[in-house]
Amino acid sequence: MATTQLTGKNLSQRLSKRLANFKLNDDVIAKLADRVLIDGLEIKKFDVCIYGICIDYYTDRIPKLDGIFSKLDVARLEVFPYGIIDWDRFHVRVSFTVDELEGRGGGGGLGR
Amino acid sequence: MRATLTHTEMRSGFLPDRIVHLHPTRLCNLACLHCYSESGPQQKTAIDLDPLQHALPLLKAEGYNLISISGGEPLMYAPLLPLVDQAHANGFRVTLITNGLTTKRVDDVASRLDGIAISFDGPAATHNRLRGRADAFERASAALARLADNGRPVAAAISLTRETIPDLPDLADHLVGLGAKALQVRPVALAGRARTMADTSSFTSADQARLYLVVLALQEELTDQVQVHCDLAPARRLWQQREAYAALLATCDQQGTDDPADRLLADLVNPLVITETGTLKPIAYDFNSCFDIASIETLSREQLAYYKQHNLLDLQALIGGALARLQGNEGLVDWFDYCTRLSEESSDGES
Repeated sequence: MATTQLTGKNLSQRLSKRLANFKLNDDVIAKLADRVLIDGLEIKKFDVCIYGICIDYYTDRIPKLDGIFSKLDVARLEVFPYGIIDWDRFHVRVSFTVDELEGRGGGGGLGR
Repeated sequence: MRATLTHTEMRSGFLPDRIVHLHPTRLCNLACLHCYSESGPQQKTAIDLDPLQHALPLLKAEGYNLISISGGEPLMYAPLLPLVDQAHANGFRVTLITNGLTTKRVDDVASRLDGIAISFDGPAATHNRLRGRADAFERASAALARLADNGRPVAAAISLTRETIPDLPDLADHLVGLGAKALQVRPVALAGRARTMADTSSFTSADQARLYLVVLALQEELTDQVQVHCDLAPARRLWQQREAYAALLATCDQQGTDDPADRLLADLVNPLVITETGTLKPIAYDFNSCFDIASIETLSREQLAYYKQHNLLDLQALIGGALARLQGNEGLVDWFDYCTRLSEESSDGES
């Protein structure tokens, strides 16, 4: 069976459709939402990346790294203090592995 | 060190403005299957302009700064233009949401508004089925395009059932292609005629999560010039922002040094709803009537002072309880709908 090679770019263009489609089942969606909603962090950018989904968060408190690492499938974590621009503000970038978006994780992946 | 904000400088609830939601009529050129106010061509009830004009200075003095007009179809409200002019004369910004069917009136009123939104329910087939009219989507799209072409900052207000979540990306592309500058997305409220829709139309928590994630993705995919907003919010974030209700809840434990009658109504009740019968209500059109505030026919400063001193406690208890339930909630919440559903539970038999 022919398959389409998905690059980061066309994955990004189609992420909303892949999430909206009920082929990605409710359990997968619920787990993904639970992963990306992190206490104390406000989502500013939500996009696909080489790890799966990368999210840029902002917070005006020192981020609690334990809470972030307790989430499943964190592939990479970066914290950028704003420093003298804004002492109380941090940019936190978290990369999650999301196999289901690639159709690898079972649970009703997109099966392209 | 940050300066202490006064109540009027702080947010009042989870809204950026202090808003009056005005439903001047239930008359509508459609009878949508999901209409929360059960409006339609046979619903002739409308509020007179006179008491509204009388109320505008008082509402402004009570701290409100934005009037959002809906309905019914607000473009079928005969004295709409003088109402808009009077609202501006009293210092309000005025926005309006329409189904986009009445072409000429859209053009007439748009130049006088600070913002206008056209409502959509999904792709053409779904939109037309819910609205009971074969050309509803085509005409709404044409109205949006014409407003955008004329340089108006037009938005699309999108209400979705769970079945139409997969259609949102294509619908968003269509609306942005027509010139929409903002998309406001929300689940259909289970009120009015929507209560008779199939159970499969209502959102589960997983559907809420799906819609929230889709909107996050759309925010990246669409051009930077388009704002995409979802009425769903993480319960934890709302809980962390509960200070937004400080003015309302502070009167619960006030020790007599701070008379609630001295507070502005907009700091306590936001949004304020005015129905086509002239009833002032908190939060939503279908909020339980036992929480009603006043009638516009008899509205006065003294009446509002009495409400704040004696009748505000029920609303305080309801909002305080709703906020408390957010603590530990890991899910998403459509806050105002959540409060409205709680109002039904908390006051059965009292209305």
